Amino acid sequence: MKNSRSTNAAGIAMIIVGAILCIGVKAVFHACGAKDDGTFMNCHNAENAAAVLGAAMMILSAFSLFIRKKGVRICTAALTAAAGIFAAVIPNNVIHLCMMESMRCHAVMRPAVIICGIIGAAVSVLFIISVLLSRSAEGEK
Amino acid sequence: MKSLPLKNLSGKPVRTAVLIIIAALLSFTMLAGGLVVTSLRSGLSSLEDRLGADIMVVPYEATTKSNLENIVLQGSTGSFYMDMSRAEKVHTVEGIGRISDQFFLASTKSDCCSIPVQIIGFDPETDFTITPWIRRSGGNELGLFDVVVGNDLNAFVGDTMYFYGIECNVAAKLDKTGTSYDTTVFTNEETVKVLLKACIESGINKFESLDPDNSTSCILIDPDSEHTAEEIVNDINLHVKKVRAIQTKEMISGISDGLGGISDMTGWLVAAVWLLGLVILLLVFTMSVNERKKEFAVLRVIGASRSRLAGIVMQEALVTGAAGSLIGAAAGLLVIIPFSGAIEEKLSMPFLTPPTGTAAVYALAAVLLSAVICAGAAAVSAFRMSRIDTAVILRGDN
Repeated sequence: MKNSRSTNAAGIAMIIVGAILCIGVKAVFHACGAKDDGTFMNCHNAENAAAVLGAAMMILSAFSLFIRKKGVRICTAALTAAAGIFAAVIPNNVIHLCMMESMRCHAVMRPAVIICGIIGAAVSVLFIISVLLSRSAEGEK
Repeated sequence: MKSLPLKNLSGKPVRTAVLIIIAALLSFTMLAGGLVVTSLRSGLSSLEDRLGADIMVVPYEATTKSNLENIVLQGSTGSFYMDMSRAEKVHTVEGIGRISDQFFLASTKSDCCSIPVQIIGFDPETDFTITPWIRRSGGNELGLFDVVVGNDLNAFVGDTMYFYGIECNVAAKLDKTGTSYDTTVFTNEETVKVLLKACIESGINKFESLDPDNSTSCILIDPDSEHTAEEIVNDINLHVKKVRAIQTKEMISGISDGLGGISDMTGWLVAAVWLLGLVILLLVFTMSVNERKKEFAVLRVIGASRSRLAGIVMQEALVTGAAGSLIGAAAGLLVIIPFSGAIEEKLSMPFLTPPTGTAAVYALAAVLLSAVICAGAAAVSAFRMSRIDTAVILRGDN
């Protein structure tokens, strides 16, 4: 079975969003830096968790795109969506961030992770819809 | 025929994408520029409200070390003190309507983060700047070791905070102001003096010679109806030694000037993008109609009226304009609202984003305006196209 254009587009978008979250949270919209004594604050754990979830989204998206079995594709895409939503709620809800909302973890990392997580989840849902529609189209043929 | 505009758009994906991107850019710059300028103006207005008094009297050393504005306007932590004999002289100056003392103390590193917070102690009996703000935010009178936290502090009513080893209860959380007060902790004078004693005992700061019961940091004054702030400032600066009276409007004049500069720059930037966008849209629609003259001539031959042809061009413009404007507005909201904290840090100016309803109105206005601009740019081409001579076009003479 060949992927439709929209399925390919949604699958590639899922991988890109996962990569942006995984690499971006460590390199661009990272949390607060180390303290004077070299130790990290709690927000560093949120940063690591978001990076791991971004990596998971990337791997699951690649599975969704290249695996043939439709049931597995839908399941992996659903897991990607769940990972995106989990990434969005991690900063400050699951793992507490720093004291001041003017600090980098609140001002930069949190909104960026929430946006990436929600976009990742939305794209995964589009992927699932696209796969389901292609199945029903094939059924009609 | 009804679906022709949509089929035309999907048949030319590159042209459609270019039109959508331009519309998105127009909508984005309009919304983002508008939100930034509005947020800066709201921040400045909020700062004026929060300063709350016309005159601020501080020890002279506070002004020479230039840390006063940093503490009051930029949110830096710091402390300065004057003994009560100087403060009492200020209290006796003629023409004072309302007067209240404040006590500044910088906390050490908190248990969860590496940045200390500024603690401001006020006298609840005389205070006229912070108490109304606390009441508006739903807070009541503060007891011993009760604190009120600024909106940007990650602490909530009922939480416990530790300053110099003393446990304090969060009694209220203040409304957002977009200023440095959002990261400040407020408490009554009694509590802040206990904290200062604990600070002195811990030996963290060099305040050994300081008597907390006989000191204050700053005196806030409002003149009575018969005197002006300028008169009182001059009187204090002339007759009370080792203190400096400052009109608060002078303190924020630097921010006000900076805001004017940013507003002007943003306005010019938005105007430049819109002018450029309008020129590109006119070019794209003109070129598009020129290369499609034969297509429109054939449609005329099979019975489409001139107004119907113009309608096709207008519908195409409206669809691309609306789609692009919505994308641009969504991007504008996603950049400005969630990242307002980062923008405030970068600009180092008070920044108070408008409430959701106002932001939605701004977004709607940006969408409508850029969609109308797209339609307006297309209208010129639609008008020219509706006047084409079908016979000449089909003969290939034009």
